[in-house]
Amino acid sequence: MENDLKDLEQAKSFWFADWAFPIIVGIMSAGVFAGTSMYYNYGVGAFNEVAIVAMLKAGMTDGAYGAAAAFGASFLFARVLEGSLVGILDLGGSILTGVGIGIPAILLSVGFEAPVKSFPLALLTGLIIGVIIGGIIYIVRHFTIGQSKATFGADVMMGAGNDTGRFLGPLIILSAVTASIPIGLGATAGAAIFYAWKKPIAGGAIIGAMILGFFFPVKL
Amino acid sequence: MHILIVLMESVIIGGLVGFAAGVGAARMFNAPTVQALGAFRTLGEMNAAEGDAASHFSFGLGFFFNAWASTVGAGAFTQDVTHRVIPNWAVSALLLRSKDMNESMHNPKKMGIMSALIGIVVVAFLNVTSSSIPAALQVTAVKVLVPAATLLINMVMPIIFWLAAIDAGRRSGLLGTIFGGLAALIMGNAVPGVVLGILIGKGVEEIGWTRITRIMLGAVILLFILSAFFRGFDVDLLKSFSLSVPQWLTNWHSSMGG
Repeated sequence: MENDLKDLEQAKSFWFADWAFPIIVGIMSAGVFAGTSMYYNYGVGAFNEVAIVAMLKAGMTDGAYGAAAAFGASFLFARVLEGSLVGILDLGGSILTGVGIGIPAILLSVGFEAPVKSFPLALLTGLIIGVIIGGIIYIVRHFTIGQSKATFGADVMMGAGNDTGRFLGPLIILSAVTASIPIGLGATAGAAIFYAWKKPIAGGAIIGAMILGFFFPVKL
Repeated sequence: MHILIVLMESVIIGGLVGFAAGVGAARMFNAPTVQALGAFRTLGEMNAAEGDAASHFSFGLGFFFNAWASTVGAGAFTQDVTHRVIPNWAVSALLLRSKDMNESMHNPKKMGIMSALIGIVVVAFLNVTSSSIPAALQVTAVKVLVPAATLLINMVMPIIFWLAAIDAGRRSGLLGTIFGGLAALIMGNAVPGVVLGILIGKGVEEIGWTRITRIMLGAVILLFILSAFFRGFDVDLLKSFSLSVPQWLTNWHSSMGG
């Protein structure tokens, strides 16, 4: 009885209802897209991994947005399908990578700069895109719920995605070593300390490299 | 002035992202009956630290330092800000007042509001501190992070995804290999192709050749054709096989501005 009442209350209120989902996705997308806008204008604030943001950066420097656009769009496509089937829309793939990197890359590659460059427009663009994505999931969910048990390899992709993160630490140390001897030593020591503290070694490698790079600067 | 704009924009962005991340994460504990926004790793990690404010806080703190380093270095927050830092710190703050899970981690309203506040502080802090750091640090970061990131994207990621596709079964291995090779040629990076190969391969394996999987395959092929056209791959392809490019194709390209 108590559970029934709780269910009824949950189904109706904004905080639990399916109809609220597009709004939540819209709010998230508005913020993330505006974050990309800030990265475009000021070089800080993109809500993604260094490796993925670097794809957008590559486009910003030489105009080749293909990798970022294709990578982001395919992630978005995969995650929207998966999200409606499993009940959890993957924030990283769909919004951070799809809306934050893929869609801006598509817009910039066709020369449509205004929605990315202007902050208010970026908020609005993100909101609209997010509401559309949330709406698609809402509709797909209502048509397919309980009919399909497929995960479309989400577990495989997630596993591979997590493995990728592990490679970054050693790669940063190897790359620091080629920058200069002090920076290489700093990165190695930082990574070792972070490892001893049971923290991701990529963070320690970056901090170590930065500290030594500050005292023994290198030229670009 | 520059810093003020960054600060103002950060407050807006942090509030929006924080709010949505908090509501989405709390809704995960009610999935699949409630459609949520988050990630499986967030769900697992938040469960792992359940009930202990200090564990949630220190877990978030570790990733916060990582995010800070990455923001200072390359302007990129890492996905951990929304996946780990904001949700875990929000739970930690709520747990200080009430130990009841329904009043903290599982409550979308409370999580939304608390996460919005934390989002504002975290995003503003990361952006303001990193846009005012010394040039020597930025040069170091560029010299260290950019080559590492380039290697990661162009070599390591494609290989990891490729091997995962091969290990995941014959269909995803075959489709991943075909689409991966084509994506590397057409898009300049194999990852999107391999990911789409896994998606369709596993989809067919799990539910068979239904309308959904056929539509997906069609959409993927269309994506490849369109990216090939817009990157001028079709023209390059004909040229590298020493074939002449037909006039209508050249006209088509110039009319599309490609």
